[in-house]
Amino acid sequence: MGQRTPIGSRTILIVEDEALVRFDLVDFFTDAGWRVFDAEDADQAIAILDRHKEIRAVLTDVQMPGSMDGVKLAHYVRERFPPTVLFIVSGNAPIPESELPERARFLPKPFDSHKLLRQIESMAQA
Amino acid sequence: MRQVACPPLDALMIRTQPARFFDRIVAWSLQLQLPGAVRYLIATALVVAIGWGRVLFVPDTLPWLLFIPATIGIALVMGKGPGLFAAVLSTATGIVSLGTLLHPTWVPRQHWVAASLFLIVMLGLVMLTAELRESLRRARRLNEELVESERQAVDRQAFLSSVLASSTDCIKVLDLNGKLTFMSEGGQRVMEISDFNEVAGCPWPDFWQDDGNGEAKNAVEAAKRGETRSFIGKADTYRGTPKWWHVAVSPIPGPDGRPDRILSVSRDITNLRASEEERDRFVRLAENSTDFIGMARTDGSVFYVNDAAKRLVGLDGTDITQLTIADFFPPEQVATVMREVLPAVERDGQWAGELDFRHFQSGELIPVLYSVFPVTDTTGALIGYGTVTRDFRERRRAEDDMRLMNGELAHRLKNVLAVVQSVAAQTLRGIPEAEAASQSLSARLVALGAATDVLTGTSWRSADLRELATRALSPHGRIGERILLSGPRVTLKPEVTVAFALALHELATNAAKYGALSNETGVVTLAWSIDGGGADATLAVYWRENGGPPVTLPERKGFGSVLIERSLRSYFSGKAATEYRPEGLVFELQARLRDAAIVIGN
Repeated sequence: MGQRTPIGSRTILIVEDEALVRFDLVDFFTDAGWRVFDAEDADQAIAILDRHKEIRAVLTDVQMPGSMDGVKLAHYVRERFPPTVLFIVSGNAPIPESELPERARFLPKPFDSHKLLRQIESMAQA
Repeated sequence: MRQVACPPLDALMIRTQPARFFDRIVAWSLQLQLPGAVRYLIATALVVAIGWGRVLFVPDTLPWLLFIPATIGIALVMGKGPGLFAAVLSTATGIVSLGTLLHPTWVPRQHWVAASLFLIVMLGLVMLTAELRESLRRARRLNEELVESERQAVDRQAFLSSVLASSTDCIKVLDLNGKLTFMSEGGQRVMEISDFNEVAGCPWPDFWQDDGNGEAKNAVEAAKRGETRSFIGKADTYRGTPKWWHVAVSPIPGPDGRPDRILSVSRDITNLRASEEERDRFVRLAENSTDFIGMARTDGSVFYVNDAAKRLVGLDGTDITQLTIADFFPPEQVATVMREVLPAVERDGQWAGELDFRHFQSGELIPVLYSVFPVTDTTGALIGYGTVTRDFRERRRAEDDMRLMNGELAHRLKNVLAVVQSVAAQTLRGIPEAEAASQSLSARLVALGAATDVLTGTSWRSADLRELATRALSPHGRIGERILLSGPRVTLKPEVTVAFALALHELATNAAKYGALSNETGVVTLAWSIDGGGADATLAVYWRENGGPPVTLPERKGFGSVLIERSLRSYFSGKAATEYRPEGLVFELQARLRDAAIVIGN
């Protein structure tokens, strides 16, 4: 659960239980000039979201320990914070669009973080 | 028939041949069968001739001497009547020949006395001779009858002997202690006994093994009491060939009507039993099989299902003869069975495929591998259908488990790829010279992950070329707009799939950086085709770029080019070449189809 220097509205929450992957994403977005929050599971993520209403983008893994998986978290975020840009990633089989909240994107693992950054930036501006 | 004594042949000869001259004369006269009148005439002529002879050659002192043998001869040869007649005639002839009219009483008185005595003696002798003739005749007739009856007995015996000898049953006679006293010739053959004396007197029950020994002893005891028994047992022949026999043991009554000896008739049923045993084995094979085995007539009515079948579909206690084939299937599959499966069995000789049975109690569907074949009679005519059907529930469950396992495996593999990607990115982060390499590596790992997805979708067994291309290329441009795919259905082998996906990734990345995908209008065409047929069929894959910026030769060949050309050449055992044409890059891969793809059918 780290907090980096805030840069405008470019604020992202990364929810990923695999620490090595999480560290890399945190570093990557920080380097790209984003303010980054990170969480190991959905419960932490919700706590952070409640405290930091400025978070505009959430990237979450599907399989995580705890009471909620990434898909449920995404639905929760969509209801509580409707404008949030949502990315759901998983090494498992792709999740059908019908099971995802609106305006959420699925990414298979491993994904290209540069391409993801381009997508997030274009969506966050929209 | 060694045990039954035959009458010696020379005894018959003696009886049929009269031994003496005397007998021979009588036998000759008996055969002559002269009419009565002729006999009397002969007798008269003989007596008169002797009378003349006596007058001419014999002195009067011996008037009767010659008449004696003549009269006895006549009596002997022609019987009593002519004999008595000859005696009287002889007396008369003698008196006539002796007398003279000069004498007052024809002959002197002493001649009359002598003639009277001669007549009395001759009558007595004739009677005696006639009796003798009669008794000879009776003896002869008795002899003939005896000879005839003996001949008949010999014939009958010969017939019975040949019947016994030609029977293939082993016919034995035992004494009351169960010891062998006789065995038919056919019996000796089937028992492989060359000399009956080797087994004569042996206790018959000892020939039997196991239960047969007890059965044989019981049968002998029963026969002693006058009862008949039969049993089936196992006994070796004299030479040790194991055989099965059906045996009937019955008493042979003696003159007093009580069992005197014992008859045992054994029939070799080894072959019959072998075929029965073989049939039994097949029956048990079906009965004990854990697969569903059933048979139905051509009209669909069921006439056999084994226990495993009853257990599978819950038929315990149901009368199976009331069922038809359709009852075993859920309603929606009955039409398939009737219209496709059974006609295919008649047409092709068999049908096999996955269907569902219906549980008769719970209605639950039971996945099965249903295999059907024709049941024919001995002439080959179709009389019904048979099935050996396997319960496929376990298999289906295993397949489901396998799919889950594959999914889990792919999941973990891709998570590992993600971790590798992250570790590599963090390792190279902050090193400006490594920035481009880091991005390339990251993208290649993504391509690897995408290739994995295609493989896990088919349980790592194969990958559809079009699907693989779609997954590998869609991140780089819209399929059907910027990237055109065309080619027949080809299923790549798993071992070439990853290399192919990486190569496509490199080509697309390259196109996005420098080629047709680097502007807004360029188009990439990925086309593949199969040329030729059979073992020599080739797979050709073309990558053509059009509408990109002008092509310039790269200064050096990087890992991307290596991936594209060298690895594909190696994995596909084919030719791979890149051509930098002015209008756009062209890449061509050619390989034998069977090295690259799973070839289905021809």
